[in-house]
Amino acid sequence: MIETSLMVSGLVVGIVFGFVLQRGRFCMNSAFRDVILMKEYTLLKAVALAIVVQMIGFHLMATMGYIQLYPKTLYWGAMIVGGFIFGIGMVLAAGCASGTTYRVGEGMMGSFVALLGLMIGGVITSRGALSELKSYLQPTEGALKAITTDNPGSLVGNANLTLANVISLDPWILVVIIAIVILAILVWKRGHEETKAGGTLYERIFKMGWNWWVTGIAIGVVGIIAFLAFKDYALGISGGWFSFLNALITGDPDELNWFAFLVIGVVIGAAIAANIAGEFKLRAPDARRLLQQFIGGLIMGIGAVIGTACNIGHILSGIPQLALSSMLGGIFIILGCWVTAYIMFMRG
Amino acid sequence: MSSDVKPTEVLDVRGEVCPYPDVKTQKKVKKMKSGEVLEVLVDYPLSAERIPRSMEKQGHEVLKVDKTGTGEWRIVIKIK
Repeated sequence: MIETSLMVSGLVVGIVFGFVLQRGRFCMNSAFRDVILMKEYTLLKAVALAIVVQMIGFHLMATMGYIQLYPKTLYWGAMIVGGFIFGIGMVLAAGCASGTTYRVGEGMMGSFVALLGLMIGGVITSRGALSELKSYLQPTEGALKAITTDNPGSLVGNANLTLANVISLDPWILVVIIAIVILAILVWKRGHEETKAGGTLYERIFKMGWNWWVTGIAIGVVGIIAFLAFKDYALGISGGWFSFLNALITGDPDELNWFAFLVIGVVIGAAIAANIAGEFKLRAPDARRLLQQFIGGLIMGIGAVIGTACNIGHILSGIPQLALSSMLGGIFIILGCWVTAYIMFMRG
Repeated sequence: MSSDVKPTEVLDVRGEVCPYPDVKTQKKVKKMKSGEVLEVLVDYPLSAERIPRSMEKQGHEVLKVDKTGTGEWRIVIKIK
Protein backbone atom coordinates (compact mmCIF):
# COMPACT_ATOMS: atom_id res chain seq x y z
CA MET A 1 0.00 0.00 0.00
CA ILE A 2 1.30 3.45 -0.85
CA GLU A 3 1.95 5.95 1.93
CA THR A 4 -0.99 7.78 3.43
CA SER A 5 0.50 11.13 2.45
CA LEU A 6 0.49 10.02 -1.19
CA MET A 7 -3.12 8.82 -0.94
CA VAL A 8 -4.12 12.22 0.40
CA SER A 9 -2.10 14.16 -2.16
CA GLY A 10 -3.50 12.03 -4.99
CA LEU A 11 -7.03 12.60 -3.82
CA VAL A 12 -6.56 16.35 -3.27
CA VAL A 13 -4.80 16.97 -6.59
CA GLY A 14 -7.50 14.85 -8.25
CA ILE A 15 -10.32 16.91 -6.75
CA VAL A 16 -8.73 20.14 -7.97
CA PHE A 17 -8.04 18.57 -11.39
CA GLY A 18 -11.64 17.35 -11.66
CA PHE A 19 -12.96 20.77 -10.73
CA VAL A 20 -10.84 22.43 -13.41
CA LEU A 21 -11.71 19.79 -16.04
CA GLN A 22 -15.43 20.29 -15.46
CA ARG A 23 -15.31 24.08 -15.39
CA GLY A 24 -13.09 24.24 -18.46
CA ARG A 25 -14.95 21.39 -20.25
CA PHE A 26 -11.44 20.15 -20.93
CA CYS A 27 -11.59 17.14 -23.21
CA MET A 28 -8.93 16.26 -25.76
CA ASN A 29 -11.34 14.23 -27.88
CA SER A 30 -13.35 17.41 -28.42
CA ALA A 31 -10.18 19.49 -28.76
CA PHE A 32 -8.77 17.44 -31.63
CA ARG A 33 -11.99 16.25 -33.26
CA ASP A 34 -13.53 19.73 -33.40
CA VAL A 35 -10.60 21.02 -35.44
CA ILE A 36 -11.70 18.95 -38.43
CA LEU A 37 -15.37 18.55 -37.59
CA MET A 38 -16.35 22.13 -36.73
CA LYS A 39 -13.28 24.26 -37.36
CA GLU A 40 -13.41 24.97 -33.62
CA TYR A 41 -10.12 25.68 -31.90
CA THR A 42 -11.21 26.77 -28.42
CA LEU A 43 -10.31 23.59 -26.53
CA LEU A 44 -7.23 22.99 -28.67
CA LYS A 45 -5.93 26.37 -27.52
CA ALA A 46 -6.49 25.34 -23.90
CA VAL A 47 -4.53 22.10 -24.52
CA ALA A 48 -1.65 23.99 -26.17
CA LEU A 49 -1.46 26.52 -23.36
CA ALA A 50 -1.52 23.80 -20.69
CA ILE A 51 1.39 22.07 -22.46
CA VAL A 52 3.43 25.29 -22.54
CA VAL A 53 2.77 26.07 -18.87
CA GLN A 54 3.82 22.56 -17.87
CA MET A 55 6.83 22.45 -20.18
CA ILE A 56 8.24 25.55 -18.53
CA GLY A 57 7.16 24.42 -15.04
CA PHE A 58 8.56 20.89 -15.33
CA HIS A 59 11.93 22.06 -16.63
CA LEU A 60 12.13 24.77 -13.98
CA MET A 61 11.33 22.30 -11.18
CA ALA A 62 13.81 19.79 -12.62
CA THR A 63 16.57 22.38 -12.97
CA MET A 64 15.97 23.46 -9.38
CA GLY A 65 16.17 19.83 -8.30
CA TYR A 66 12.61 19.36 -7.04
CA ILE A 67 11.73 16.64 -9.53
CA GLN A 68 13.41 14.31 -12.01
CA LEU A 69 11.92 14.31 -15.46
CA TYR A 70 10.68 10.91 -16.53
CA PRO A 71 10.26 10.64 -20.30
CA LYS A 72 8.52 7.36 -21.10
CA THR A 73 10.26 4.53 -22.97
CA LEU A 74 10.14 4.80 -26.73
CA TYR A 75 8.73 1.70 -28.41
CA TRP A 76 8.04 2.70 -32.00
CA GLY A 77 5.43 0.05 -32.77
CA ALA A 78 3.64 0.37 -29.46
CA MET A 79 3.37 4.16 -29.63
CA ILE A 80 2.07 4.09 -33.20
CA VAL A 81 -0.38 1.19 -32.79
CA GLY A 82 -1.47 2.02 -29.24
CA GLY A 83 -1.87 5.73 -29.94
CA PHE A 84 -3.95 5.12 -33.06
CA ILE A 85 -6.17 2.57 -31.30
CA PHE A 86 -6.67 4.97 -28.40
CA GLY A 87 -7.65 7.75 -30.83
CA ILE A 88 -10.29 5.53 -32.44
CA GLY A 89 -11.65 4.56 -29.03
CA MET A 90 -12.03 8.07 -27.70
CA VAL A 91 -14.25 9.19 -30.58
CA LEU A 92 -16.54 6.17 -30.07
CA ALA A 93 -16.51 6.67 -26.30
CA ALA A 94 -17.41 10.36 -26.79
CA GLY A 95 -14.56 11.45 -24.57
CA CYS A 96 -10.86 10.92 -23.91
CA ALA A 97 -9.71 9.34 -20.64
CA SER A 98 -9.94 12.62 -18.73
CA GLY A 99 -13.12 13.79 -20.50
CA THR A 100 -14.82 10.50 -19.74
CA THR A 101 -13.72 10.62 -16.10
CA TYR A 102 -14.91 14.16 -15.39
CA ARG A 103 -18.25 13.53 -17.15
CA VAL A 104 -18.91 10.64 -14.78
CA GLY A 105 -18.85 13.34 -12.09
CA GLU A 106 -21.43 15.31 -14.10
CA GLY A 107 -23.77 12.32 -13.96
CA MET A 108 -23.38 11.14 -17.55
CA MET A 109 -24.08 7.41 -17.51
CA GLY A 110 -22.74 6.93 -21.03
CA SER A 111 -19.34 8.07 -19.78
CA PHE A 112 -19.68 5.73 -16.79
CA VAL A 113 -20.23 2.82 -19.18
CA ALA A 114 -17.24 3.98 -21.28
CA LEU A 115 -15.16 4.05 -18.12
CA LEU A 116 -16.08 0.44 -17.32
CA GLY A 117 -14.99 -0.46 -20.84
CA LEU A 118 -11.72 1.43 -20.40
CA MET A 119 -10.88 -0.45 -17.20
CA ILE A 120 -11.71 -3.85 -18.69
CA GLY A 121 -9.82 -3.12 -21.93
CA GLY A 122 -6.78 -2.03 -19.97
CA VAL A 123 -6.68 -5.00 -17.64
CA ILE A 124 -7.17 -7.64 -20.37
CA THR A 125 -4.31 -6.01 -22.28
CA SER A 126 -1.93 -5.63 -19.37
CA ARG A 127 -2.44 -9.06 -17.78
CA GLY A 128 -5.14 -10.92 -19.69
CA ALA A 129 -6.00 -12.22 -23.15
CA LEU A 130 -4.24 -9.46 -25.06
CA SER A 131 -1.09 -9.31 -22.93
CA GLU A 132 0.98 -11.08 -25.59
CA LEU A 133 0.21 -8.35 -28.10
CA LYS A 134 1.41 -5.84 -25.57
CA SER A 135 4.64 -7.76 -24.90
CA TYR A 136 5.21 -8.13 -28.63
CA LEU A 137 4.93 -4.38 -29.21
CA GLN A 138 6.92 -3.47 -26.08
CA PRO A 139 10.01 -5.68 -26.42
CA THR A 140 12.26 -5.54 -23.38
CA GLU A 141 15.30 -5.01 -25.57
CA GLY A 142 13.85 -2.78 -28.25
CA ALA A 143 13.69 0.58 -26.56
CA LEU A 144 15.90 3.34 -27.86
CA LYS A 145 17.84 5.09 -25.14
CA ALA A 146 20.14 8.05 -25.04
CA ILE A 147 23.33 8.38 -23.09
CA THR A 148 22.75 11.75 -21.59
CA THR A 149 24.18 13.97 -18.96
CA ASP A 150 22.49 17.19 -19.88
CA ASN A 151 18.79 16.79 -19.15
CA PRO A 152 18.21 19.24 -16.35
CA GLY A 153 17.68 17.29 -13.17
CA SER A 154 16.66 14.33 -15.25
CA LEU A 155 17.75 10.74 -15.50
CA VAL A 156 21.44 10.80 -16.16
CA GLY A 157 23.09 8.08 -18.14
CA ASN A 158 20.97 5.55 -19.99
CA ALA A 159 17.78 7.62 -20.33
CA ASN A 160 14.67 7.49 -22.45
CA LEU A 161 14.85 9.75 -25.45
CA THR A 162 13.68 13.33 -25.49
CA LEU A 163 13.59 15.64 -28.47
CA ALA A 164 16.51 17.47 -26.89
CA ASN A 165 18.64 14.28 -26.92
CA VAL A 166 17.85 13.57 -30.55
CA ILE A 167 18.91 16.95 -31.86
CA SER A 168 21.62 17.40 -29.20
CA LEU A 169 20.35 20.68 -27.90
CA ASP A 170 20.08 21.98 -24.36
CA PRO A 171 16.43 21.25 -23.43
CA TRP A 172 16.03 24.83 -22.23
CA ILE A 173 16.71 26.19 -25.73
CA LEU A 174 13.93 23.95 -27.08
CA VAL A 175 11.59 24.87 -24.23
CA VAL A 176 12.03 28.57 -24.91
CA ILE A 177 11.62 28.22 -28.68
CA ILE A 178 8.53 26.00 -28.45
CA ALA A 179 6.96 28.24 -25.77
CA ILE A 180 7.50 31.41 -27.82
CA VAL A 181 6.10 29.85 -31.00
CA ILE A 182 2.98 28.42 -29.32
CA LEU A 183 2.32 31.55 -27.26
CA ALA A 184 2.69 33.76 -30.34
CA ILE A 185 0.16 31.64 -32.24
CA LEU A 186 -2.23 31.69 -29.26
CA VAL A 187 -2.05 35.46 -28.87
CA TRP A 188 -2.51 35.90 -32.62
CA LYS A 189 -5.47 33.49 -32.74
CA ARG A 190 -6.90 34.37 -29.33
CA GLY A 191 -10.39 34.98 -30.75
CA HIS A 192 -13.17 36.92 -29.13
CA GLU A 193 -14.03 34.53 -26.34
CA GLU A 194 -12.26 36.69 -23.79
CA THR A 195 -14.98 39.29 -24.17
CA LYS A 196 -17.51 36.82 -22.78
CA ALA A 197 -20.29 38.49 -20.81
CA GLY A 198 -19.47 39.74 -17.31
CA GLY A 199 -20.83 38.50 -14.00
CA THR A 200 -19.25 38.58 -10.58
CA LEU A 201 -15.98 36.78 -9.95
CA TYR A 202 -17.90 34.07 -8.06
CA GLU A 203 -20.21 33.53 -11.03
CA ARG A 204 -17.34 33.44 -13.46
CA ILE A 205 -15.52 30.78 -11.44
CA PHE A 206 -18.38 28.62 -10.21
CA LYS A 207 -21.31 29.19 -12.56
CA MET A 208 -20.06 29.87 -16.07
CA GLY A 209 -17.77 27.80 -18.30
CA TRP A 210 -14.23 29.14 -18.24
CA ASN A 211 -12.40 30.93 -21.01
CA TRP A 212 -9.86 28.71 -22.76
CA TRP A 213 -6.84 30.57 -21.41
CA VAL A 214 -8.04 30.29 -17.81
CA THR A 215 -8.53 26.56 -18.34
CA GLY A 216 -5.14 26.14 -20.03
CA ILE A 217 -3.23 27.89 -17.26
CA ALA A 218 -5.19 26.10 -14.52
CA ILE A 219 -4.60 22.63 -16.05
CA GLY A 220 -0.91 23.48 -16.47
CA VAL A 221 -0.56 24.53 -12.84
CA VAL A 222 -2.39 21.40 -11.63
CA GLY A 223 0.04 19.31 -13.71
CA ILE A 224 3.06 20.97 -12.12
CA ILE A 225 1.59 20.47 -8.62
CA ALA A 226 0.92 16.82 -9.52
CA PHE A 227 4.56 16.26 -10.47
CA LEU A 228 5.75 17.94 -7.27
CA ALA A 229 3.34 15.87 -5.16
CA PHE A 230 3.88 12.47 -6.77
CA LYS A 231 7.54 12.97 -7.83
CA ASP A 232 7.62 9.99 -10.24
CA TYR A 233 5.39 11.48 -12.92
CA ALA A 234 2.80 14.20 -13.49
CA LEU A 235 -0.88 13.62 -14.27
CA GLY A 236 -2.26 10.36 -15.64
CA ILE A 237 -5.79 9.01 -15.86
CA SER A 238 -6.05 5.59 -17.49
CA GLY A 239 -3.31 4.04 -15.33
CA GLY A 240 -5.28 5.04 -12.25
CA TRP A 241 -8.41 3.22 -13.42
CA PHE A 242 -6.43 0.09 -14.36
CA SER A 243 -4.83 0.08 -10.92
CA PHE A 244 -8.26 0.52 -9.35
CA LEU A 245 -9.76 -2.48 -11.19
CA ASN A 246 -6.63 -4.58 -10.57
CA ALA A 247 -6.93 -3.91 -6.85
CA LEU A 248 -10.59 -4.92 -6.93
CA ILE A 249 -9.89 -8.14 -8.84
CA THR A 250 -6.89 -9.27 -6.83
CA GLY A 251 -7.97 -7.90 -3.47
CA ASP A 252 -4.41 -6.65 -3.10
CA PRO A 253 -4.26 -3.03 -1.87
CA ASP A 254 -0.67 -2.85 -3.17
CA GLU A 255 -2.18 -2.66 -6.64
CA LEU A 256 -3.47 0.81 -5.82
CA ASN A 257 -1.12 3.50 -7.09
CA TRP A 258 -1.11 7.29 -6.75
CA PHE A 259 -3.17 7.66 -9.93
CA ALA A 260 -5.97 5.51 -8.49
CA PHE A 261 -6.51 8.12 -5.79
CA LEU A 262 -6.13 10.88 -8.37
CA VAL A 263 -8.92 9.55 -10.62
CA ILE A 264 -11.32 9.06 -7.72
CA GLY A 265 -10.54 12.66 -6.80
CA VAL A 266 -11.28 13.78 -10.36
CA VAL A 267 -14.78 12.30 -10.22
CA ILE A 268 -15.40 13.95 -6.84
CA GLY A 269 -14.01 17.32 -7.97
CA ALA A 270 -16.06 17.29 -11.17
CA ALA A 271 -19.19 16.37 -9.21
CA ILE A 272 -18.59 19.27 -6.82
CA ALA A 273 -18.06 21.70 -9.71
CA ALA A 274 -21.12 20.43 -11.61
CA ASN A 275 -23.31 20.63 -8.51
CA ILE A 276 -22.31 24.21 -7.70
CA ALA A 277 -22.88 25.24 -11.32
CA GLY A 278 -26.27 23.50 -11.45
CA GLU A 279 -25.05 21.15 -14.15
CA PHE A 280 -25.17 17.80 -12.36
CA LYS A 281 -27.83 15.54 -13.79
CA LEU A 282 -28.03 11.77 -14.04
CA ARG A 283 -28.60 11.20 -17.72
CA ALA A 284 -28.15 8.52 -20.34
CA PRO A 285 -28.29 8.30 -24.12
CA ASP A 286 -30.21 5.52 -25.90
CA ALA A 287 -29.13 1.87 -25.83
CA ARG A 288 -27.28 2.03 -29.15
CA ARG A 289 -25.17 4.95 -28.00
CA LEU A 290 -24.43 3.29 -24.65
CA LEU A 291 -23.12 0.23 -26.49
CA GLN A 292 -21.02 2.47 -28.76
CA GLN A 293 -19.52 4.21 -25.74
CA PHE A 294 -18.75 0.94 -23.99
CA ILE A 295 -16.94 -0.41 -27.05
CA GLY A 296 -15.14 2.93 -27.38
CA GLY A 297 -13.99 2.69 -23.77
CA LEU A 298 -12.80 -0.88 -24.29
CA ILE A 299 -10.76 0.18 -27.34
CA MET A 300 -9.33 3.15 -25.43
CA GLY A 301 -8.23 0.86 -22.60
CA ILE A 302 -6.49 -1.51 -25.01
CA GLY A 303 -4.79 1.41 -26.78
CA ALA A 304 -3.68 3.05 -23.54
CA VAL A 305 -1.91 -0.09 -22.32
CA ILE A 306 -0.30 -0.88 -25.68
CA GLY A 307 0.81 2.74 -26.11
CA THR A 308 1.90 2.94 -22.42
CA ALA A 309 -0.32 5.96 -21.68
CA CYS A 310 -3.55 7.75 -22.52
CA ASN A 311 -3.99 11.27 -23.79
CA ILE A 312 -3.17 12.69 -20.37
CA GLY A 313 -0.04 10.60 -19.72
CA HIS A 314 1.30 11.32 -23.20
CA ILE A 315 -0.01 14.63 -24.44
CA LEU A 316 -0.52 16.52 -21.21
CA SER A 317 2.33 15.09 -19.11
CA GLY A 318 4.81 13.52 -21.56
CA ILE A 319 5.08 16.10 -24.33
CA PRO A 320 5.97 18.90 -21.85
CA GLN A 321 8.93 16.71 -20.81
CA LEU A 322 9.87 16.65 -24.52
CA ALA A 323 9.56 12.85 -24.43
CA LEU A 324 9.87 11.45 -27.94
CA SER A 325 7.65 8.49 -26.97
CA SER A 326 4.82 10.81 -25.94
CA MET A 327 5.16 12.98 -29.03
CA LEU A 328 4.85 9.91 -31.24
CA GLY A 329 1.99 8.48 -29.15
CA GLY A 330 0.27 11.88 -29.13
CA ILE A 331 0.49 12.28 -32.90
CA PHE A 332 -1.09 8.87 -33.43
CA ILE A 333 -3.83 9.52 -30.86
CA ILE A 334 -4.75 12.60 -32.90
CA LEU A 335 -4.59 10.68 -36.21
CA GLY A 336 -6.82 7.91 -34.83
CA CYS A 337 -9.26 10.55 -33.64
CA TRP A 338 -9.35 12.33 -37.00
CA VAL A 339 -9.78 9.21 -39.11
CA THR A 340 -12.62 7.97 -36.89
CA ALA A 341 -14.34 11.36 -36.68
CA TYR A 342 -14.17 11.63 -40.47
CA ILE A 343 -15.71 8.20 -40.95
CA MET A 344 -18.42 8.72 -38.32
CA PHE A 345 -19.47 12.30 -38.88
CA MET A 346 -18.12 13.77 -42.07
CA ARG A 347 -18.75 11.37 -44.92
CA GLY A 348 -21.62 12.22 -47.23
CA MET B 1 -36.05 40.38 -29.12
CA SER B 2 -39.19 39.45 -27.25
CA SER B 3 -39.08 36.32 -25.17
CA ASP B 4 -41.91 34.53 -26.98
CA VAL B 5 -40.48 34.02 -30.44
CA LYS B 6 -42.32 31.03 -31.77
CA PRO B 7 -39.89 28.42 -33.00
CA THR B 8 -40.47 26.97 -36.46
CA GLU B 9 -38.96 23.70 -35.27
CA VAL B 10 -37.82 22.15 -32.01
CA LEU B 11 -34.82 19.81 -31.81
CA ASP B 12 -34.55 17.81 -28.61
CA VAL B 13 -31.07 16.35 -28.22
CA ARG B 14 -31.21 15.81 -24.47
CA GLY B 15 -29.36 12.68 -23.44
CA GLU B 16 -27.10 12.78 -26.50
CA VAL B 17 -23.33 12.67 -26.08
CA CYS B 18 -20.48 14.60 -27.63
CA PRO B 19 -20.63 15.72 -30.49
CA TYR B 20 -24.11 14.56 -31.54
CA PRO B 21 -25.98 17.64 -30.20
CA ASP B 22 -23.77 19.84 -32.38
CA VAL B 23 -23.87 17.54 -35.42
CA LYS B 24 -27.66 17.15 -35.28
CA THR B 25 -28.17 20.90 -34.84
CA GLN B 26 -25.94 21.52 -37.84
CA LYS B 27 -27.90 19.06 -39.98
CA LYS B 28 -31.21 20.60 -38.93
CA VAL B 29 -30.06 24.15 -39.61
CA LYS B 30 -28.97 23.20 -43.13
CA LYS B 31 -32.48 21.98 -43.93
CA MET B 32 -34.21 25.12 -42.64
CA LYS B 33 -35.03 28.29 -44.54
CA SER B 34 -33.81 31.81 -43.92
CA GLY B 35 -35.70 33.62 -41.17
CA GLU B 36 -37.00 30.42 -39.56
CA VAL B 37 -36.37 29.86 -35.88
CA LEU B 38 -34.91 26.68 -34.38
CA GLU B 39 -35.16 25.80 -30.71
CA VAL B 40 -32.56 23.31 -29.47
CA LEU B 41 -32.98 21.51 -26.13
CA VAL B 42 -29.68 20.23 -24.81
CA ASP B 43 -28.36 18.81 -21.53
CA TYR B 44 -24.68 18.56 -22.38
CA PRO B 45 -22.75 21.57 -20.98
CA LEU B 46 -20.02 21.72 -23.63
CA SER B 47 -22.57 21.77 -26.46
CA ALA B 48 -24.62 24.43 -24.67
CA GLU B 49 -21.58 26.70 -25.09
CA ARG B 50 -20.28 25.38 -28.39
CA ILE B 51 -23.54 25.41 -30.40
CA PRO B 52 -24.18 29.17 -29.93
CA ARG B 53 -20.51 29.85 -30.74
CA SER B 54 -20.53 27.87 -33.98
CA MET B 55 -23.95 29.17 -35.04
CA GLU B 56 -22.80 32.77 -34.66
CA LYS B 57 -19.62 31.98 -36.55
CA GLN B 58 -21.78 30.76 -39.44
CA GLY B 59 -23.78 33.98 -39.39
CA HIS B 60 -26.99 32.73 -37.77
CA GLU B 61 -28.51 34.83 -35.02
CA VAL B 62 -28.54 33.29 -31.55
CA LEU B 63 -31.65 34.83 -30.00
CA LYS B 64 -31.39 33.15 -26.63
CA VAL B 65 -29.49 30.71 -24.48
CA ASP B 66 -31.64 29.93 -21.43
CA LYS B 67 -30.71 27.63 -18.61
CA THR B 68 -34.06 25.91 -18.19
CA GLY B 69 -33.15 23.58 -15.34
CA THR B 70 -30.36 21.63 -13.71
CA GLY B 71 -27.98 20.80 -16.53
CA GLU B 72 -30.51 21.75 -19.21
CA TRP B 73 -30.44 24.55 -21.73
CA ARG B 74 -32.68 25.98 -24.47
CA ILE B 75 -30.94 27.61 -27.40
CA VAL B 76 -33.01 29.67 -29.86
CA ILE B 77 -31.44 30.28 -33.26
CA LYS B 78 -32.72 32.43 -36.14
CA ILE B 79 -31.51 31.05 -39.45
CA LYS B 80 -29.47 33.33 -41.69
